[in-house]
Amino acid sequence: VEFVLHVQVANIAAGAVVCVESEIRGDVTIGPRTVVHPKARIIAEAGPIIIGEGNLIEEQALIINSYPENIMPDTEGVEPKTMTIGINNVFEVGCVSQALKIGDNNVIESKADLGKNVILTSGCIVGACCQVNTCEVIPENTVIYGSNCMRRVQTERPQPQTLQLDFLMKILPNYHHMKKTVKGTSTPVRN
Amino acid sequence: MASLLQPDRVLYLVHGEKKIRSPLSTLYFCRYCSELRSLECVSHEVDSHYCPSCLENMPSAEAKLKKNRKRICNQLNENFRCANCFDCPCCMHTLSTRATNIPAPLPDDPSKTTMKKAYYLACGFCRWTSRDVGMADKSVASGGWQEPDNPHTQRINKLIEYYQQLAQREKLERDRKKLARRRPYMPLAFSQHTIHVVEKYGLGTRLQRQRPGAPITSLAGLSLKEGEDQKEINIEPAQALDEVEPLPEDCYTRPINLPEVTSLRQRLLQPDFQPAGASQLHPKHKHLLIKRSLRCRKCEHNLSKPEFNPTSIKFKIQLVAVSYIPEVRIMSIPNLRFQKECQVLLTLTNPVENITHVTLVGCEEGDPEDINSTAKVMVPTKELVLAGKDAAADYDELAEPQDFQDDPDVVAFRKSNKIGFFIKVVPQREEDGDVTVSFKIRHDFRNLAAPIRPSEEGDAPTEAIWLTHHVELSLGPIIA
Repeated sequence: VEFVLHVQVANIAAGAVVCVESEIRGDVTIGPRTVVHPKARIIAEAGPIIIGEGNLIEEQALIINSYPENIMPDTEGVEPKTMTIGINNVFEVGCVSQALKIGDNNVIESKADLGKNVILTSGCIVGACCQVNTCEVIPENTVIYGSNCMRRVQTERPQPQTLQLDFLMKILPNYHHMKKTVKGTSTPVRN
Repeated sequence: MASLLQPDRVLYLVHGEKKIRSPLSTLYFCRYCSELRSLECVSHEVDSHYCPSCLENMPSAEAKLKKNRKRICNQLNENFRCANCFDCPCCMHTLSTRATNIPAPLPDDPSKTTMKKAYYLACGFCRWTSRDVGMADKSVASGGWQEPDNPHTQRINKLIEYYQQLAQREKLERDRKKLARRRPYMPLAFSQHTIHVVEKYGLGTRLQRQRPGAPITSLAGLSLKEGEDQKEINIEPAQALDEVEPLPEDCYTRPINLPEVTSLRQRLLQPDFQPAGASQLHPKHKHLLIKRSLRCRKCEHNLSKPEFNPTSIKFKIQLVAVSYIPEVRIMSIPNLRFQKECQVLLTLTNPVENITHVTLVGCEEGDPEDINSTAKVMVPTKELVLAGKDAAADYDELAEPQDFQDDPDVVAFRKSNKIGFFIKVVPQREEDGDVTVSFKIRHDFRNLAAPIRPSEEGDAPTEAIWLTHHVELSLGPIIA
């Protein structure tokens, strides 16, 4: 009898700030200048997750690459699909994202719920508590808001949260331990 | 919290023009008439206007009209909207002002640039900004934003003036007729209907005060002196046109740009323009809310009068029923079975500070008020005594509990001003729906508002009167 232990270490680039209290399972790559708050969960079940740079993933956010509902985890012949997340996205507190492809500069507000078949392009804002589980590509600069998920198109994309990211990258290490990055020590250099 | 208490399961009957049954928490008690009043048997009056976002008080419509009679029409338009706050034309949320830094050339030296602040309006909910409709950023934080002018304003104002004049004339004639019919021995008072006359064309309710000896021709705020000739306002009738603008040629073939089409709600909130395209949606000033006071229709006393300050939620006068009438609440219901006797536990709370005696009486056969009950009920026959409400009872641990000698078959528990008691219910109908029972509660009420009679007669200054209320309880479905 053979026991094979798969140890998957998250691939965190240097310059990313990932708190130890966050749960990262599976094959996850995190780009530089991304901040992952404590209690955020990034779970790569059915395939790897690649997260770009400058993203902000807040507390209790759940990014999960899960198996489709009608397929058991052990079935043969299921191709692992990669979930790609671009740059400068914001995943606010408590949101759930299962979308396989997310572009740049999107904002997913608190308690929003993205289904597996949605593809976000760039500059989209999914409002608080909005559930988007249609099978479509959301056009650029769309705002989804309201209890009925009304939509409108805005003229400017949401600004990247550079100020907030810089602030967090300075302050979070003062209060939390960080996960190890690929090159470099476990806690970044303090000013 | 209100849903936990389930107040709508216990309804009190109000005797008014309509028989209304509603929970005690929504009712008022006129202590001059000693009767319950509901929202439908009181008159509602506007006290003041205030903006819900900046909480600024606006002078009431009458005050403004008194000042500037000539500009009545414009005032009416501006009157009910806040000057500082705006509504998002897309989602109707309140707009907030945001600032950005833009480089601007210095006035002295055009080659150098300095950072100046530019302000724009933005909605936090749907992310609409004032830049979406092409409104330029302003250099001042507030006061720079203008609503676009309606091209038809002049014509509308003229029409309003003309119709207001008509309404005034009609009112004068009506008052004159009433005066002529008045018999000489009646006091110089109006019948109760004229006090609550709603003026035509939205000039608001006005209250006429009784003024013995004064002639009754002046109207509040819009009065003209007697004998003064009114300026005749003539309007041209509207002209019908034969030719109408033709539709554009690509009307049927042009593909629709869906994000640009406004919804009906967005369109109708701007009745002046009703734009079909989202790029024409300009923000409007925020509508004001009112603070209202309630007045008993029979005795004209105020039942509820809020404070003038918009930030205060207190009341100057608050004659709500829960502070005068003992409240019945359902505490626990066993499984209800068809034609089997069940025991239901109710509580009775005493809101006043003196001891209250309550008697419960079942409804008799053929009682016209008892239309909804689907079960027979046996209420305790003995009189229940409720202790007064003592505000310091929580803190006073050494107080001796008063001895009331309760019958344990009737009274389940007693806790300061509340008792729990049992009633027996026998459901009579097997159908679906809630089991409803009704009974009458009779309690003593000390009227502290009544004028104190001179004590030469030796009477106690506050006499108790007995009030009876019809109560209906909804106990839930029968469990087979």
